[in-house]
Amino acid sequence: MTLGAPLAIRAVAALFVVLMIVFLLAPLVVVMAASLSAGGYLVFPPQGLSLKWYAEILADRRYQEALTTSCVIALLSTAIAVPLGTAGAIALTRFRFPGRSAAQLLFLSPLLFPTIVVAIGLLILASRLLGGSSIAVIVAGHVALAIPFVVRTVGAVLEGVDRATEEAARVMGANAWRRYSLVVLPQCKSGIMAGTLLAFLVSFDDAVLVLFLRTPSIDTLPLRIYASLEFSPDPGVAAASTILILMAAFVVLISERLLAGRHVVG
Amino acid sequence: MTGAARRLEPALLLAPGAVALIAAFLLPILQVLAYAFFKDGALSWSALDFTAWRRMTDDDYHLFVGLRTLRIGLIVTAACLILGYPLALVIDAASARMKALLFLALLLPLMTSVVVRTFGWLVILGRGGPIARALRDLGLVPNNFQLAYTETGIVIAMTQVLLPYMTLVLVGVIGQIDRRLVEAARTMGAGWLHALRHVVIPLSKPGIIAGSVLVFAITISSFITPVLIGGLKLPVLAAGVFHSAIAYNDWPLAAAQATALFAIVALVLLPYALTARGNAR
Amino acid sequence: MAGVTIKGLAKSFGKVEALKGVDLTIADGSFVALMGPSGCGKTTLLRLISGLDMATRGSVLIGDSDVSRTPPEKRNIGLMFQSYALFPHMTVKDNLAFPMKMRRSYDAAERDRRIARALDLVRLPAIGDRYPRQLSGGQQQRVAFARALIDEPSVLLLDEPLSNLDARLRDDMQMELIEIRKQAPITTILVTHDQTEGLTLADEIVVMREGRIEQAGAPRAVYADPKTAFVADFLGGANLIPVSVAPATGGGWTAAAANGQSAPAPAPPGGQGGRMTLMIRQEHLRALKPAETAEAEVQGKVEAVAYRGQTAQVAVQALGQSLRLIAPPDTAFAAGDEIRLGWSPADSRLIADGSQRG
Repeated sequence: MTLGAPLAIRAVAALFVVLMIVFLLAPLVVVMAASLSAGGYLVFPPQGLSLKWYAEILADRRYQEALTTSCVIALLSTAIAVPLGTAGAIALTRFRFPGRSAAQLLFLSPLLFPTIVVAIGLLILASRLLGGSSIAVIVAGHVALAIPFVVRTVGAVLEGVDRATEEAARVMGANAWRRYSLVVLPQCKSGIMAGTLLAFLVSFDDAVLVLFLRTPSIDTLPLRIYASLEFSPDPGVAAASTILILMAAFVVLISERLLAGRHVVG
Repeated sequence: MTGAARRLEPALLLAPGAVALIAAFLLPILQVLAYAFFKDGALSWSALDFTAWRRMTDDDYHLFVGLRTLRIGLIVTAACLILGYPLALVIDAASARMKALLFLALLLPLMTSVVVRTFGWLVILGRGGPIARALRDLGLVPNNFQLAYTETGIVIAMTQVLLPYMTLVLVGVIGQIDRRLVEAARTMGAGWLHALRHVVIPLSKPGIIAGSVLVFAITISSFITPVLIGGLKLPVLAAGVFHSAIAYNDWPLAAAQATALFAIVALVLLPYALTARGNAR
Repeated sequence: MAGVTIKGLAKSFGKVEALKGVDLTIADGSFVALMGPSGCGKTTLLRLISGLDMATRGSVLIGDSDVSRTPPEKRNIGLMFQSYALFPHMTVKDNLAFPMKMRRSYDAAERDRRIARALDLVRLPAIGDRYPRQLSGGQQQRVAFARALIDEPSVLLLDEPLSNLDARLRDDMQMELIEIRKQAPITTILVTHDQTEGLTLADEIVVMREGRIEQAGAPRAVYADPKTAFVADFLGGANLIPVSVAPATGGGWTAAAANGQSAPAPAPPGGQGGRMTLMIRQEHLRALKPAETAEAEVQGKVEAVAYRGQTAQVAVQALGQSLRLIAPPDTAFAAGDEIRLGWSPADSRLIADGSQRG
């Protein structure tokens, strides 16, 4: 689209891109650098380099509990969201049926919808029906957030699978269960794996739902970080944040590989 | 499997996910709407109760919060468009290697928890941060200057948060434009700028609209970033919901504020969704 | 092995009637080709026979059993897809083992024997452990064919099996298909849009159009005696000339074209004259040398000559329209030349359906 742009423009564009990359990654770089601070204050650039803050938070009981809770919630949410989302993706991609657009809207709208409205709704609902929030309620909320991601990744891979293989399996005598387990799902493997990673990350990263639904006994890593930010954060918070950044980097790299260029955001 | 069972197949596949989404997504939304309009959420005509709304409209405070939220939304959307469009053009023209790198630069912040990104901005925008220090060294600002706790700071941070969304949508749309249309324009005498103005931009309009709607909707619903960077003095609508619910335990007011937010988002998304249906599959 | 009987079969997709009521009897062991332009309903018919779609009306019988409501996995058919539909995540051996595992027909040892035999049949004995993506198009096609046959179905269905191959490979595969069938004779129904494929491979061809069967019969019979202009044209290279037929003085018949030229004609169907279509195939028209004569002759003017490698196609303006004929590739004619066309009326046909090319 920029065919024939003169050299001057190209040079400006190159500079622009560098600036944009800096802009996009700045907060992450700052946090990671601050986590390596040898001093006691959070400052950028860091004064001296040391890994001591990582040791600090990993030894801190509150961080240990937060990390554990985050993992538990994320594992539960993922375990539920992935099968539900995969089944939904198959239904939406492979079948035509009345109410399909409504179903598609339902399965994808948590992506667009203000999470805060769902958060307050879940709080009210949980308080009225269950006497208050709990891990289960948070998991339920995370499942709803994660399903659209799974639907998109599995759907994207499924689109590329030859429908005829399913029909061939039918003709050759496979019932629905075997058709899915032996023919359809194996061909969707990369989509399911990418969906699993994204679902886990979405749950682990969430700060809005947990802010509304937390109880005195529930603490997650993002909540710890948020709480520290309201006061004066120390480099330990930066260390905890870096863990989240590294997790995100891991998921992004692996899922990009798995999806081989099929981009599912936007 | 008989024909009837075959027809059931999609329903069986959708059911568990649908149940989960209805329970954990749809019902909470309905609950909020109920609490916004009915006393204790009881759904009967006698329980119709607009006191929460009256409190919202009586108090100028809420109006200012709403206006601030919309203002931030519009500025961030404009900023994302101005920065995102050229970025999308560059990504589209880039080699495979460069493209992968740029996508990584877009996806990494997107996938990082918003508290972490906000944390980073607090450091950058704060008194001890690089921006404030640089401006002080240049003598342009007083000693205790910082961009944190200012609306400008919120806008900068939110732009970084939302830019990937806008850029990815635009890259998608621009990538779909047939290169040959641009080549045809060039053979007919259009320079690259003309081709851009008269061919590429008009054809990417659906993406521009989609991206803007998306960014605007997310920005005005945002909570973490405006609250942490803006602080208590610069609340946005989402912060109002949080404070009403958690600090004051005032569910009807929180529900009313959430509904107001919902309504604005729906107002923006609905016309878009309806027209997009005509174009999409 | 069993024959297939179709009675009054119809299928609608919403408001669209893909198949409008079709009757067909396919004899046990025969090879039938369903042919026609896209949208004619041939693929729909195949899918109804396979059970992948259910008919709106009518019945399908395989052998003596009515399978109209039976799902595909219980119909004991073999289906080869246009895209081959080989499972990309399984080796060739696993692909071939699949139908046998689904039906649990045999134990592991017998399965391996059958797989070895199937691979021999399609002349690919060594590729069992490879994945489909490691095979060439022709090899994939043969594996797909073997997979359709391996569980000894009653009926074999082939959905445009050769259309993804290039021309040379297609010719080779057609020959191979004939050979394989000799070794494993099985009721076979083939869908193709390629006229020559049907004519080459089938015992019986069924020409379809807009959801109905236009004509069915042995290839030679249908080719030589098309009942409608559509069938004549579909099977290739027919000149269709609207004429007025009347008895000729001295016996026989004459066909007069719109431009006033006339020529001897064969007997019209039903023995009655009138307006109808005269069909002369391209290969039956020839350019007469100065001293040559033919039973039927007209004067014409060459419009264009197209060199085709093995032959040349010559377009000639005569009998009121542009006629095509096949000439040797080194033909001396050029555009503008006057030419005399000759043919034998016995090689031509009169078609009375009144419709021109579909």
